[in-house]
Amino acid sequence: MGDSDAFGKLELELRRGVLVLATLSQLRGQRYGYELRQALAAKGLPIEEGTLYPLLRRLETQGVLDSEWKIEDGPPRRYYSLNADGRKLLKKLTDSWKGMNGAMDRLLEED
Amino acid sequence: MNANDVIEAYVNDVAVQLPRKQRNDVAFELRALLNEELQARADGSGRVADAGMAIDMLQAFGQPAEVAARYRPTLVVIDPVDGHAFVRLTVIGLLVIWTLGLIAQLGAPIQSADQFLIALGQWWTKTVIASLWWPGALAVYFAIAAWTRRRWPQSQAWKPVAAGHTPGGRAALVMGLVGIALGLFVLTEPRWVLDAFWGGNAAPAAYEALTYTEAFRHREGVVLWLLVATNIPLLAAAIVAGRWTTLMRRVQTAGSLATCAAMAWAVAGGPIFIRPAADSMTKGLMVLIIVLTLLELGIRLHRNVKPTPDNMGSRLTG
Repeated sequence: MGDSDAFGKLELELRRGVLVLATLSQLRGQRYGYELRQALAAKGLPIEEGTLYPLLRRLETQGVLDSEWKIEDGPPRRYYSLNADGRKLLKKLTDSWKGMNGAMDRLLEED
Repeated sequence: MNANDVIEAYVNDVAVQLPRKQRNDVAFELRALLNEELQARADGSGRVADAGMAIDMLQAFGQPAEVAARYRPTLVVIDPVDGHAFVRLTVIGLLVIWTLGLIAQLGAPIQSADQFLIALGQWWTKTVIASLWWPGALAVYFAIAAWTRRRWPQSQAWKPVAAGHTPGGRAALVMGLVGIALGLFVLTEPRWVLDAFWGGNAAPAAYEALTYTEAFRHREGVVLWLLVATNIPLLAAAIVAGRWTTLMRRVQTAGSLATCAAMAWAVAGGPIFIRPAADSMTKGLMVLIIVLTLLELGIRLHRNVKPTPDNMGSRLTG
């Protein structure tokens, strides 16, 4: 396995790890799929559409997102937002992320 | 085909693989999202969306089967931890079945090339194709194991097992000792089984069927009896110790190999029983015992672990 191959796979693993947290963080208010993808990309975390759209459905099935069809300036769109369980999950994951992030910062600090 | 047709075909290919109750809703949403993505691409490139642009976008989106799978919770039939064991057992099992089938087919006299090809054809249909039950049975076994592991995770917690541990403890060893003693009793004179069950009133043909040939009784039979008898002091020592020590295991392995060799000698030698039917059945059972014993020894050898660092010698000398 070449260096670029190894880097690509390991970076993919890292991105997978933060995917759910990033998505939940942008659904405090209602958003539809394409809008959410744009919001994530604008903040520096582009996610492939083939990954993000199914993820929204899975999170809804897991009971952390609510969704509804609405018509606002265009065709009908399905809007997603956190429900009460989703907000609790976001809080827990955020705390966990901050803890890990701090630890990683300390680990990666050069002597 | 225009861009809309391409998206429609893609959405249909994804949706058809989804559960019926969510299929139409997901298809409607996916189509709207893909149209929006395509429009953004067209706007970005400064040209009108066409079929080529839609195909490029959808190829990046993923294979319809992959995308459909992402919409559903991951379904694991065989746990990743069992993947290697599943492949290994499948390959070993198939090789054993195919080899035994080939031996059975080629065992009959073959007079010509045509007969050889017919035998190979029969081996293919009766053994190779029929052997697919084996990976199927393994898949079911590992699927049940995976389900059990997820359903009752605590029952699967690792527990230490002492070296030389005997499943069933001393009781199992005592039962083994009784079994060996009975085996020796029957090996000495198999007709006693008829006396034990029918009180000496079994048909004369039955007694004749279980009569050893004189050659076997005075040659291979004696050796086999002695080799089986060595298990008695070995099992007695294991019962006293409550476990198998390394020395006992070594003696047992050597005894098993010697017994296999003696059985192979008996099978390859002259008749064991006077009656051909009893003789061929006994030899078949002996071959089966040899195969199972060697398999068990092979598995034990394969599972043997001796913690040793790699290349220690070269590092020390280097």
